[in-house]
Formats: sequence, structure tokens, C-alpha cells
Amino acid sequence: MADSSGPPATADRPDRLRILHVDMDAFYASVELLRHPELRGQPVVVGGSAERGVVAAASYEARSFGIHSAMPSVRAKRLCPHAVFLSGDHAHYAEVSGRLMEILRSYTPLVEPLSLDEAFLDVDGARRVYGEPPRIARLIRRQIYEQEGLTCSVGVASIKFLAKLATDQAKPKASPAGPVFGSGISVVAPGGELEYLHPLPVRSLWGVGPKTLAKLERLGVLTIGDLARLPQATVISALGEGQGRHLWLLANAIDEREVEPDQAPKSISHEETFATDRHDRAGLDVELVRMADAVSSRLRRHQLAGRTVQLKVRFHDFHTITRSVSAREPVDTGPAILRAARQLFDQIDPAPGVRLLGVGVSGLVDGAVRQLSLDDLMEQDWTQATSTIDDIRSRFGEAAIGPASLAASGELKLRRLGDQQWGPDRPSTPAEPIDGE
Amino acid sequence: MKFRCEREAFERALGLAGRAVSGRGGALPVLSGVHLVLEGDTLRLTGSDLDLTISVELTVAGEQDGVAVLPAKLAADIVRAVADGKVEMTVDSEEAHLSAGRSEFSLRVIPADEFPQLPEPSADAVKIDATEFKDALRQVTPAASADDSRPILTGVLMAAEDDGLRLVATDSYRLSVRDLPGSTVLASDQSVLVPSRSLNELARVLGDDDDLTLRLGEHDATFEVGAVRVTTRLIEGDFPNYRGLIPSSQPNKLTVNREALLDAVRRVRLLAQESTPLRLIMKDGVLELVAVTQDVGQAQEAVDASFDGAELTVAFNPEYLLNGIEVTGGEEITLETVDELKPALLRRVGSDDYLYLLMPVRVS
Repeated sequence: MADSSGPPATADRPDRLRILHVDMDAFYASVELLRHPELRGQPVVVGGSAERGVVAAASYEARSFGIHSAMPSVRAKRLCPHAVFLSGDHAHYAEVSGRLMEILRSYTPLVEPLSLDEAFLDVDGARRVYGEPPRIARLIRRQIYEQEGLTCSVGVASIKFLAKLATDQAKPKASPAGPVFGSGISVVAPGGELEYLHPLPVRSLWGVGPKTLAKLERLGVLTIGDLARLPQATVISALGEGQGRHLWLLANAIDEREVEPDQAPKSISHEETFATDRHDRAGLDVELVRMADAVSSRLRRHQLAGRTVQLKVRFHDFHTITRSVSAREPVDTGPAILRAARQLFDQIDPAPGVRLLGVGVSGLVDGAVRQLSLDDLMEQDWTQATSTIDDIRSRFGEAAIGPASLAASGELKLRRLGDQQWGPDRPSTPAEPIDGE
Repeated sequence: MKFRCEREAFERALGLAGRAVSGRGGALPVLSGVHLVLEGDTLRLTGSDLDLTISVELTVAGEQDGVAVLPAKLAADIVRAVADGKVEMTVDSEEAHLSAGRSEFSLRVIPADEFPQLPEPSADAVKIDATEFKDALRQVTPAASADDSRPILTGVLMAAEDDGLRLVATDSYRLSVRDLPGSTVLASDQSVLVPSRSLNELARVLGDDDDLTLRLGEHDATFEVGAVRVTTRLIEGDFPNYRGLIPSSQPNKLTVNREALLDAVRRVRLLAQESTPLRLIMKDGVLELVAVTQDVGQAQEAVDASFDGAELTVAFNPEYLLNGIEVTGGEEITLETVDELKPALLRRVGSDDYLYLLMPVRVS
């Protein structure tokens, strides 16, 4: 940044929504409420209840009494003597978190977890399939609620730090009268970043602690706008090269940090719980075709291929089996995945009733470098066909094209990715209000 | 049962029959044993895992006819270990006694009546040129799949082709086709699918000058080489229609000295690690080989070649390419290509009885 005299031109800022910041609402406390539904509506505090314990999380009811995380438990007890104190169960929270992150990764591989209950997503590449980022935020909130019974708040913006700021505004709030539901989703419109940002107090900036705040106040900086209007050099001389530059850029809504996924996905899978148990091999085979196609499509979208194909079957009595087969070379086409899945399914008797069926691919490798197979040629130039399929899907949506065996009269019964992945559609709307369209 | 024989001949026979014995016998414990039948001076040793059966005849000094099943691995280990010279074996219903030099062994035998009835070889016998057949196996069997999840591809197709025999194998990444003109082994339009594992065992026992006889049954095939008989179950099912996969015309043709290419590939592939491919850059007068492994390093080498076509880069799995160059044989070979995604063809210059088709690695 050569120019240090004033705010840079807006052209330097990314001009479209692409970042989601997903933050679970009172995560530990909400997870505990799922296990202790009898405590709903009561102030619940998770954390060490002993002499020196601190609050790890508090339900919004408890927050209404002024309790917040990191507060000594003793003080929390004084504020709200009738609050229910639960000791934390980190292993359980981590398990729930793992499932939440999987949901997020089903929308984009670019998921950067910040903690068990918080993550950044870059959904720029997912908009063709799922729509604009605010719609993706709604889909994610709904899926997390339907699958895990948990609520979250989502900030949507063009850059990471604004998305995180926005989340706060979407959060439920504690009030003396009890919890007040938030909007659930808060969007910082592209082009409106500075308008949104500048009135906010400067302490809202990521990385501004009490010391920094004091230094800034000496410069007369109260709002983020004040900071942005200072010459960059002034800020740098006050706060030092690193932090000064960083905060000044943030104040000007410039945040070039990318979403950095901390791990490559280990597997890509699709599973479906059927509304009624299925016994017919032929009908289930159609589901296999559908799932192999969906998995292959996702593999290719993420430019991955995998060596191992798994089949998961849950029977009517919840007895669940998984079977897998590994090929010498990684696969990423529907027919190749289907061939393996069928081979596994052939060894399973669906007669007792199949409740859930899933197809997955693991042992993932870079799909860009792939040993081509003669099968590709035998399957009617499948290599070319798949790239055509991918093109069509990216232009017209997932349901625009699919295997012929999935064609019903007039439409393709192609499941949109994410639909029904975790269970049959609910007949009624969930009790918890999900934000309106 | 009682007989005497030379240790060395007995060791060889036990070793051969033992190659068909599966490790722990699997479902049938008796199959972990080697089956012995003595009639007069002829001892027949048989090992089987039901898919593959290897049977060896050995001339011994027989004293008393009989049938027995001995634990295959232990028997082979003992006969390998004892002193050279005469070995004497006596078997009663419970135990086998083996003495050699000053060593004495007693072994519990496996009840012989549990040994399964194995199919009798068909009476129809045809002779095959052993030298040619062994050469064909060397070229074709490596391309067969080792992946049991696709049983068809673990087999080698033997099919009547024009006035000869054709052998075909593919693991779906490469395809090997060898013609044996004039070898009228099968009736016209007849084809069988023989497990490559069985053919590999056959190739081990096949010497260049041996007489090779094939007896084809409905569900099995028996190859007889001297005193050794290899019987294999045939694979049921339809082999892929490989003919459609072989491109009829390839616009680009590279001609190169085989040994020079082989040496260059062996060197450059050292830097094609972690399943990164070997790139072949084909231009007029030269073939460049390049391998780059991220965080490891890179290698390249140029090989003199004549090239007819448009400059092209194609990437291959180095092992598949190397194997193709090795088995194609000959002094000069050609590599024909269409583009970087279509199958490439390796052939020997001046001979069209063998082709090796190889799918590229897509690099994008």
C-alpha cells in the first residue's frame, strides 16, 4: 500500500458477498439443553461450579441475570442463585461440533473453524448451486436446526472481519425480561461496508484491547470512522507497523485474509434416511444411482478423487453396517462410484427393511491429476460427459441433468445437495422461528 | 503308503504342488495339506485351493500303495531341511514317518477322505507351442487386474482370432493384446477367461522346450507340462469389449529405441513419486521425459526419437509405461497417440502381433 494519506479507492475492496461467519448460539448451554429438555426456559450455566470455577457458557435466560462466559462461577451464583449449574462435557461438545462442521463443509470445502462453535466459510464457489450467500446462510441455519436442534447466527459480508462483526447483530440478546431472538442472519451489503462500519465504536475492531483503545483515544479516535480518516502513517506511528497497518486497513473495510480450511475433507458422502423403511432392492438401487451421482458431482466440484468407496446401511432396528472397497486408482465419476457401491450392496440383504442408505468416497487425493481409465471410454466417453454435466449443473442447477434411471415423468427426482441428507423432510415447520425470506 | 525317493526331487515336487495351497486352508482345513497318491512307482502330489490345482508326478521307489494328506508347508520345510540323499516315507492312518540320513520325523496326517474331489481334466487335448505361449504370458499377464472386486479383469481372455489364438488382459488402465497366429487351440468364436494368477503359476513351470497340452473343460482348463498339471477354474462372465477401445488411427507417431527409452524412463521416474505422472513431451527428433514431485525435486532427460505429428505432451503412470516398454520387446518401438486424454498405443516396429494400450494420466 504505497498511498498512506487517505482511504484507498473502493475498487480495492471485494465488491460481493462471499464470506459467512457462523456462530452457534450459547453452544455448550444449548447442547446441554438438548440432553436436559426439562431445563428449557431456566437459567443454565455450564462450567466449573467449584470454588474457583468459571462460566464456560450461559443460556440466554442466565445471561438475562448478567451472567456471561469467563465470569467466576461464584459470582454467577450470586447473580442468579437459582441457576442450574452443569459441569461441561467437552468430548460431547466436540462430537456435536464435528457434525456441525460436516454440515458446513457440505456447502463448501472452504471452512475455517475458529473454535468448536464458530467458523468462517467462503461460499463464493457455492452460489451457483445454492444461490446467493444470504440464501446459503438460511439453508445452513435450517439444516443445523433440523439436524441438531441447535440455533446459530450468521454474519454475511464481503470480507471476514465484517462477517464476524455482523454476526453479533444477528445474535439473540439477553434482556431483563428474558431472551430476545435476534434476526439470525445479518448481511453487510456490498458497497455499504464503510457506512456500516464507521459509526461503530473502535473497540469493535478485531484486535483492539484496552491498551490499544487507550492509545487510540489519545489520538481522538472513538469510532472506526475516526480511525479510517487518520493517515495510515499516523496510526502506524502510534500502534506500530504490524498492528497499526492492520487496524487501519480493517477500519477501511480492507481484509485480505482468505478463509483457510484447516483440514482437507477426509471423505465426501451422501446419505439419506427414508420416510418409510425400504425393502426393495430395485428401488434402493435407484437411490444408489442418485447418491453415486451426487457424490461424484461434489468430488469433482472440489477437484477431488478417492480410492475407497463406502456403503452405509442402517436397518429398521437401527443396526448399522458400513462396507468399503478400495480401488487401485482414485475414482471421481458416477459410474465408477456406482459400480463399487453396487458391488457392496449386492452382499447385503435389504429384506428386513432399510432405514438409511449412504454412499461415500474417502482416501481423497487431488482430482486434477488422475489416471484415466478405459472404463471412462467404455462408459460412453464418460470423461467428456461428466464435464458436460458439471457445466450444465453450474449453469442451470443440480436438477437440470442426472442419470436416466432417476427420471420420473416430467422432472428429475434429483435430490438437491443437502436436501434430506439427514432425514426425511419434516411435515411441519420447526417450532423455533427461522428467519423469514 | 511307503516309498523312497531323492530328497531334491521330492522337495521340488512338494514346492510345486504347495504353490496352489492357500495359507491356512480357509474354509476347508484339509486344503492346507498336500495330497499324495502312490500307485506302483508313481507318486502324485496335489495342492489345491479349489480355484487352482497343481499336481506333480514323481517317480519313486514304491513299496506300498496308498493315499495321504500331509500338512503342506511343514512337509516342504522338512524335506528342504534334511540331508541330501534318500528320503524314506511311511504313512499309516494316523502319522507319517519320514527318515533321511539320521533324521526322523513323525507328523500327524490330515484325514485323506476329506480332500475334495477335483475335476478330471477333459479328454480333449490340444498342443500349444510352449515357447510362444510363455512369451505371450510374459507380455499379457502383467496387465491383468489384481483387484478381486472386479473378477472379470483378474482374468486373461484366451480367444480364437482369425486362424490363431489371442490373449488379452486389462486392469482398465492398460490393455495388453497378443496374437499367436496359427495356434489353433480354440474352436472359432470360442473364448475362455483364465485367472491370471493360474497363468502366472503356469509360466513358472514352463520351460522353453517343454510340450504344453491344454485340456479345456466347461468350467475349468488344465495345462500339462511334463510331469506337472495346472488345473484352473475358468472365470464366468463377459470380458469387456476391448476392440472398440483400440483407436483405429492415431495421428501422432513416435519411434524410439526401446533400450534407450527404457533406461531414460527408469532414471526419470525416480522423481515421479507419490503417484505423480511422468510427462512425455514429443517433438520432432526428440522425446523429452519430465518428472516433477512437489517438495522433492525434478528430473528430465531427452531421448533421440523420430516423431510424426503435432507436438504433444502426454502424462503417464511411470510403472504402467515402464511395464509396457519392457514387455513390448524388440529394438525399436512406436508410441502412437491422439491427444493427452486418449489411449496411447505401444508397438514393436516390424511386428504387429502385440500391442499395449495405455491410458494417460490427466493433468489439469
